[in-house]
Amino acid sequence: MPQSADRILDHASLFNEPEYLELFARKHALENRVPPDKVQEQLDYTKSWEYREKNLARESLCINPAKACQPLGAMFATVGFAKTLAFNHGSQGCTAYFRSHLARHFKEPCAAVSTSMTEDAAVFGGMQNLIDGLSNAYTVYKPDMIVVSTTCIAEVIGDDLSAFIANAREKGSVPMDFPVAQAHTPSFVGSHINGYDAVIKGVFTYLWEGKTREPNERINIIPGFDGFAVGNNRELKRILNAFDIGYDIISDVSDQFDTPTDGTYRMFDGGTPLDTVRGAINAKATVSMQKYCTEKAGAFVAEKGQQYASFHYPLGLGATDEFLMKISDLTGKPIPDSLEKERGRLVDAMADSSAWLHGKSYSIFGDPDFVLGMTRFVMEMGGEPVHCLATNGNSEWAAEMKALLATSPYGARAQVWAGKDLWAMRSLLATEPSDYVIGSTYGKIFERDLGIPLIRLTFPIFDRHHHHRFPVWGYEGAIRVLVTILDKILDDLDRKTIKTGISFDMVR
Amino acid sequence: MLQHTLQHLFDEPSCATNRAKDPKARKQGCGGKPLTPGNAAGGCAFDGAKIVLQPITDAAHLVHGPIACEGNSWDSRHSLSSGPMLYRTGFTTDLSELDVIYGGEKKLYKAIKEIVARYDPPAVFVYQTCVTAMIGDDIAKVCAAATERLHKPVIPVIAPGFVGKKNFGTKLAGEVLLEYVIGTEEPDVTTPTDINLLGEYNVSGDLWNVTPLFKRLGIRLLAAITGDARYHDVTKAHRARVNMMVCSQALINVARKMEERWGIPWFEGSFYGVPETSKSLRTIAKMLVDRGADVSLLKRTEALIAREEARVAEVLAPILPALKGKKALLYSGGVKSWSMIAALQWAGMQVIGTSVRKATDDDKRRASALLGDSGTLWESLPQREMYAKLKAGEADILLSGGRTQYVALKAKTPWMDSNQERHTAYAGYDGTIAFLKGIHKALTNPIWAQVRTPPPWEE
Repeated sequence: MPQSADRILDHASLFNEPEYLELFARKHALENRVPPDKVQEQLDYTKSWEYREKNLARESLCINPAKACQPLGAMFATVGFAKTLAFNHGSQGCTAYFRSHLARHFKEPCAAVSTSMTEDAAVFGGMQNLIDGLSNAYTVYKPDMIVVSTTCIAEVIGDDLSAFIANAREKGSVPMDFPVAQAHTPSFVGSHINGYDAVIKGVFTYLWEGKTREPNERINIIPGFDGFAVGNNRELKRILNAFDIGYDIISDVSDQFDTPTDGTYRMFDGGTPLDTVRGAINAKATVSMQKYCTEKAGAFVAEKGQQYASFHYPLGLGATDEFLMKISDLTGKPIPDSLEKERGRLVDAMADSSAWLHGKSYSIFGDPDFVLGMTRFVMEMGGEPVHCLATNGNSEWAAEMKALLATSPYGARAQVWAGKDLWAMRSLLATEPSDYVIGSTYGKIFERDLGIPLIRLTFPIFDRHHHHRFPVWGYEGAIRVLVTILDKILDDLDRKTIKTGISFDMVR
Repeated sequence: MLQHTLQHLFDEPSCATNRAKDPKARKQGCGGKPLTPGNAAGGCAFDGAKIVLQPITDAAHLVHGPIACEGNSWDSRHSLSSGPMLYRTGFTTDLSELDVIYGGEKKLYKAIKEIVARYDPPAVFVYQTCVTAMIGDDIAKVCAAATERLHKPVIPVIAPGFVGKKNFGTKLAGEVLLEYVIGTEEPDVTTPTDINLLGEYNVSGDLWNVTPLFKRLGIRLLAAITGDARYHDVTKAHRARVNMMVCSQALINVARKMEERWGIPWFEGSFYGVPETSKSLRTIAKMLVDRGADVSLLKRTEALIAREEARVAEVLAPILPALKGKKALLYSGGVKSWSMIAALQWAGMQVIGTSVRKATDDDKRRASALLGDSGTLWESLPQREMYAKLKAGEADILLSGGRTQYVALKAKTPWMDSNQERHTAYAGYDGTIAFLKGIHKALTNPIWAQVRTPPPWEE
């Protein structure tokens, strides 16, 4: 046998041993499976134009979606507030998924509770679960605030969150004045970016209740759902500190998803203090880093009388310029020299590497704002977007995408795919390939099936570690994005030249 | 021995530069101005010798010295091989302090022995370096002993860095080839169309853009000295009918002495750009016919040239309008100082000036004739001045090597690599297509718009 105590093979090598290969072949024959050439024939067919047309015509089936559901975004937004517990009203399985989803990406524990509705609760309503749940969560975890979000089951049976929470207070689950914000976040509407939006709006609504706005000069920044939040939020603070202005990041997960290993388990770490959120009503303006993550929250702050500005996950040169100019514009402060110097360094880096980046083609998938931001930066580097896809993108997004692509000759080839899934992307790439794919870990299937290298630059990144610790926003973040893309291009080039050794160069 | 070789080289009669010098200046060295302490300097003689010899791909190249010489440079030139890869392995004796005190000869012999035992190459080239020259290791003796005991050509390359510049090292390497390699074996057959290319190192596959043309004309490349070369091919190079010198100054001594010893006529030419490629093919054909090749070669050559020129024009038609009138600054040396001018002018570009480092008088004359009144020849162009010119917008693009790349970028000017570290072959007709497409790409990259505008808040 290949496996022995003296020579222990791990999972990556064991099954490549001849004994196992033979065993697989026998199993294949024994089970009378489809012969490999038939399988290959079918696989080849799935890469044809004919299959692509059938695939794109698909209406009722979603295969490999590049989106998650509302409560995931709700949980993410919730843990960005100081000592705030994410409380999911519904069945417990959903909550378990969100926790593992976030933990797998951030490599951090992710605490959240569920009302664990069972069959009887589904029939008779989940009020008792919510009353008991709030009581237990308050007693056991001692949070400063609880944000109640919902899963489909609670929404389908029509649980009235406001009434239930009021009842729970009366029954003494939580003190009468204990902050409990709420957000309706059914999975069957929108995606995680809408859940994020709902919680931000829900927290504002609760903490601003009865308050009158007394405008000051501060700026609120809402980062939006972001897999790079740990690095990005810290970079954002560094940039804004350089401006020397008063600002508050609304829902800052950077510490919660980056707790130190020093022997202390921190159920809560960092986050936006609740008093800061209470005071945020008085801010002069609210700036959203991701328009599609804050549509409702943005409208809400505008209603309160604040100025509101939004960006599309600003990546690269032009987008960062615009962000800084907006901050400068809102605060009346000039753009700091230190940032201008950083800008020059980014331009330098882009110019240094321009020959390698020029004319490379990319297909980009992810959340709507990310795809907009990434596409823009790619074109700034002389790259050509081929397919731009957002499963949770709508027609408004598609129109914005097309307008962006029309601003550059490098966008001429690009096609925009709103609402399409990754199985559609597979067909698109099989028939009209690009040199690289930019997206999440799920883009691995394209690497496997079509040999198109994947550049991991958006949530979720499960199969690589720690990327979220580094920023992609700002000029310095842009350099990191550039390096990530360039590393892949040059690794790819090394891989392609290894066989002959020709152009397998030490200097590139 | 070194002194002897040096003096002998300084007298090189075919080198116009040397001829023009008075006897005193000739003794000081060759290859343009002597080095100025305190100036930024290029490569040394050792580097030059390696440039010439290392492309012999199946040989082992062993550097006898402390780690610096090989440690900083191994496998960093893009001289490509279609077969053996041994030349890319960095061999060095990595001398330590004790070796410097007690001498490194034994270590060198052991190293040679180990190479022969492990890799069994057809030959081992052993490079002297400054330190081993100064401590007095007798490399020639060690090599002679190794040759005898190991039954393998072990060839001393006496070109320590301090004897001069890179260009001088290339000539020393040429002497090594003449003394130890060329003419030591006989080819199985010879043909009336056998040629050698001298000073063609197959940088990024340049040679491979040219060999198919030869093949189509029935011309046999006996040896490229030394691009994609095999040791045993170089040993038989003395049976060629014509030598084409591709890099004018580097191996001029080899060309002249091959003519002297074996009666092989030679000419200088280039494969950069359409006009020069065609001209070189014509010259080769004519010289071969003069030496007895079938006269039909001339006709076939013309047919090939016509077909290739038409093809290049067709492929490049879409990008030529964008190149027309664009101004280039050429910072190269030797043969490229003029041959690239022709390539750029063919595409309708203007060359505002070219550096003529490492160029012969003949090179300079040609460059000057091509430039006319519209461009300048620079003996040297310090980075500061180059920066000023680019900054002032005198050129739309700089074509140079990696060391000046960043000068261009700081001056907000596009740049393209035209030296040995580039990654694309520029020789021949296909190379011209790649060359001009590369320039087009560099000129049109969107970053330049950003580089040249101030941050938007300053507008």
